Amino acid sequence: MTDRITNEKNGEGLHTSNLNVGYESDVVKDISLAVSPGKIVTLIGPNGSGKSTILKTVAGLLEPRGGVIMLDGLSKADIGSKEASKILAAVMTGRINPELMTCKDVIESGRYPYTGLFGKLSEEDVRKVDEAMAATDTADIADKDFRNISDGQRQRVLLARAIAQDPGVLILDEPTSFLDIRYKIDILTRIRKLASEKNIAVLMSLHEPEIAMKLSDTVVAVGDGKVLRMGTVDEVFTEKFIRELFKLGDMDVRLLGRLWYTDGERLSPLGDSNARHTYCSADRGSRSRHIMVMGTMSNVGKSVVVAALCRIFARDGYKVAPFKSQNMANNSFVTADGLEMGRAQVMQAVCAGAEPDVRMNPILLKPTDECGSQVVVMGKPVANMRAAEYFEYKKSLVPTIKAAYESLSSEYDIIVIEGAGSPAEINLRDNDIVNMGLAEMLDAPVLLVGDIDRGGVFAQLIGTLDLLEKNERDRVKGLVINKFRGDADLLAPGIDILKEKAKCDVTGVIPFMDLNIDDEDSLSDRFTRREPKEFDIVVIRLPHIANYTDFDVFEESDDISVRYENMPGRIGKPDMLIIPGTKNTAGDLKWLKTSGIADSIVKLAAEEVPVFGICGGYQMLGRNISDPDGAEGGISETGLELLPVDTVMSSSKTRKSFAGRICEPTGVLSHLGGREIKGYEIHMGQTEPFDRVFEFTSEGSGYCRGNIYGTYVHGLFDENMVAADIVRAVSELNKKSVDISALSDRTGYKQSQYDLLADTVRKSLDMDAIYRMIGYNDKR
Amino acid sequence: MRKRCTVAFTAVILLLIISVYTNLITGTVVIYPADILSAIIGKTAGTMEAGVIMNIRIPRIIAAVILGGALALSGYMLQTFFNNPIVGPFVLGISSGAKFTVALTLIFSLSGGRKPGAVSLVMAAFAGALASMMFVLAISVRVRSMGILVVCGIMVGYICSAITDLIVTFADDSNIVNLHNWSLGSFSGINMSDVAVMTVIIAVCLIISVMIIKPMGAYRLGENLARSEGVNITLFRILLIIISSLLAATVTAFAGPISFVGIATPHLWKAMTKTSSPAVMIPGCFLLGGVITLICDGIARGLFAPTEVSVSSVTAVLLVPVVIIVMIRRKREND
Repeated sequence: MTDRITNEKNGEGLHTSNLNVGYESDVVKDISLAVSPGKIVTLIGPNGSGKSTILKTVAGLLEPRGGVIMLDGLSKADIGSKEASKILAAVMTGRINPELMTCKDVIESGRYPYTGLFGKLSEEDVRKVDEAMAATDTADIADKDFRNISDGQRQRVLLARAIAQDPGVLILDEPTSFLDIRYKIDILTRIRKLASEKNIAVLMSLHEPEIAMKLSDTVVAVGDGKVLRMGTVDEVFTEKFIRELFKLGDMDVRLLGRLWYTDGERLSPLGDSNARHTYCSADRGSRSRHIMVMGTMSNVGKSVVVAALCRIFARDGYKVAPFKSQNMANNSFVTADGLEMGRAQVMQAVCAGAEPDVRMNPILLKPTDECGSQVVVMGKPVANMRAAEYFEYKKSLVPTIKAAYESLSSEYDIIVIEGAGSPAEINLRDNDIVNMGLAEMLDAPVLLVGDIDRGGVFAQLIGTLDLLEKNERDRVKGLVINKFRGDADLLAPGIDILKEKAKCDVTGVIPFMDLNIDDEDSLSDRFTRREPKEFDIVVIRLPHIANYTDFDVFEESDDISVRYENMPGRIGKPDMLIIPGTKNTAGDLKWLKTSGIADSIVKLAAEEVPVFGICGGYQMLGRNISDPDGAEGGISETGLELLPVDTVMSSSKTRKSFAGRICEPTGVLSHLGGREIKGYEIHMGQTEPFDRVFEFTSEGSGYCRGNIYGTYVHGLFDENMVAADIVRAVSELNKKSVDISALSDRTGYKQSQYDLLADTVRKSLDMDAIYRMIGYNDKR
Repeated sequence: MRKRCTVAFTAVILLLIISVYTNLITGTVVIYPADILSAIIGKTAGTMEAGVIMNIRIPRIIAAVILGGALALSGYMLQTFFNNPIVGPFVLGISSGAKFTVALTLIFSLSGGRKPGAVSLVMAAFAGALASMMFVLAISVRVRSMGILVVCGIMVGYICSAITDLIVTFADDSNIVNLHNWSLGSFSGINMSDVAVMTVIIAVCLIISVMIIKPMGAYRLGENLARSEGVNITLFRILLIIISSLLAATVTAFAGPISFVGIATPHLWKAMTKTSSPAVMIPGCFLLGGVITLICDGIARGLFAPTEVSVSSVTAVLLVPVVIIVMIRRKREND
């Protein structure tokens, strides 16, 4: 434990959950926020809203009145004030008037937690003090009396003192009050720089919203004794909200310059509880209709049923959108705006003929390890959280979900909502925002889907209904049996009994369909062991593998095997080898080397087997991966050295759609030059060549040499026959004959699969009943 | 800064040696320098000169130095605690509280025909000092004003003095003379066993003070920053209160209330060294307080010899100007 505390550079920043702060009574309640290393989170709010009280409590000057403060993933209450002070430093308001202390004396006092009984400074301490003085330009005033310097200089000295404390978390209470413009700019620039260079998590309060707007990664608006809104700058700084927060009424605020973004500028409109009225009035007069699909358990085929309904409604002439409040998946999709959302909703949107939009999946959880996830809100990563932490945090997301839904609702006729897991997870019922809690919030009718293929479908359906509260059960308007194989006549008596026992209509029985559409997440059977076929592709199954739907296109041919392997002995001699994307490049690279797979890859490459590296896999193909800013834990690793490129990790994430072409492919793919490709990029870090190498994909997104190909572009195999041509080229080289007709055009193929799905489901379900559930008495 | 400190320490130690010597040779009985050494090594034991040196002058000198140092240290700690430059054990009424309980103890014991022991007097004084301290603390929590704090302390002092006077009025005549001398502040009549008791108590306080040099340094930047650096503020403040009260109480128990040494010494020492570092302040204040008190005691004895003036009168006359200058300078700095 001690190791972790002293090594604050690898810290996890600051988290609070359900923190209540105040003096004799609560001033602000239920504060759940997260400050990641390198990020600046700013508290804004009117005077007296409790910003300082929050900061004082986090800094340990006030006892919390409830809830937990976590520093570096450890509870602050558990580690004691001495250890806490090695992680957290503060610059608070209030005039400090020490007698006869030089600025250096003041800065040196920051080393307090590290020195011995009499506070004598070690060499290390002296070095840290010098560093802090250099970072704040205070060396030239070091010997001046602290009382005889200007306010701006004082603030710099106090900042230096805090930096000397070598913190992972920095608390700043109104760091710019009483400073003139020059020093304001000076201090804020330094804070921004320190946060990113030293990877410090900064939590501060600012009087001036116009500054908070420019400086913050996340803004937390405090008022009325609670956190009113939390989000990115464009989410919080909306005119209506800022006017309400600061009680501006209809004051003319132009004197202060911009205080908010107008509608067109923000990426995602987020609303408070009053937002509904705004949207309604801007609406065509009514909200959309909606229906919610829930499952008795995971993998009953909810997302496929939702996709089918989307397509059916769309074909019936409605404007349809899918919606799932929270999705847990490792595979994310990047929208045209550069925002992340779950792939399942993208697939459903495509079925509905709608443009994928983060509002369709406002919250995405990407598992990072056994019990933690990266939380992505409205397409942007907010923080890494443990399950328990997220359970608390998610309450604060309710307004986000509502606003996203309301906004969609104003643009579409019908919204098909998908639940997650089972609605009968009675231990998670409190604060539910994905199943019945959401259905209630949105007042949606519910279809409950059971999976007959896995057995026990009657027990699934009736048992689920039994565990629901009365009002929840009443929401369930129909039952659906999914994945039925065999004779419908044999099932008929069972259906009658089900209707009677469940006191609920059975809307239909959907047959088992062998469809090839994007599946949702890591719970699929992709990783079951497969045997090599005529044309053999091995994908290295990295421990933190991500975006593996990239290779689905190859699975469409019966002659091709796509094997996910994690043991050197199982790799064999494939026709092609792919290193996929990962959530942890350095970690997985290390694993690659220790597991012996690295050697196998290098050997295969020497035998001229084509090796592809996508995203993280591409980075691994290079010579060196360095992480100077500690974006992924600060580990540097030597790569496989198959391509002459170097990667530098950085904490800023590249997220964009890609439309370009294959430039000058080498080796076996040489005839693919000039081919248009589409896809998306999502990665931390930049990769640059250091030696002669050929451009594989355009805009510097990938390089190749010989039969080694690396690129950041996900989805490059999907379109324009790229997959088919690669397989053809390689199989010709290896003198194999492979049927590649199924690989032809993935997009067209997908659409035909969706149509097949919609047709089957329409035949299986009582669509009239469903239209009645959502309030259309006759279908249009 | 380091050089300045060395000079200041050397100067104070020289001054100490000189004033010890002066105090040894001056007085109603004339002592020649040569007598001192022979008295100390016991060569002239039994003579009047030796008796005067060993039983009167040496205990008195040691007491003046130790108790003066204790007062100065107590003053420095109180100034740190309240973050207030014009407080000291006398001004805050802590000495007066001790004086009140000591007077009570003395009168009850003397009218019972016993002379109270040194330890029980110190304990009585400590109780009184703590009681006044608590009262002043209660006020300081409610009003964060330097001025009001000092006014309240002075009023506590007056109340204690008034009650003490009342008790003295009703005491036996024979005790009054005894009490009167003591209640004005005086080092006369201190014997070697008293010196032993005070040395032990003050040495303990001094050791604890040295142990809290580090948090005291951090505390100069205010409670909030000290806390954020991991200082256990509650423990630190309790230690400051107990030590400063115990120091002031010990002085009062043996020498009665002695004014202004506690306030003035830290300022004089800061002016000499130009630093507020506790590692310099704690030993320095102690030494300088001892020297000042010793000089004042010399003056008190010698000025109108053979009549002794109360040492508190001398300290007041000499040190009040220092306090006034400090207040004026500070006011000017703040404006």
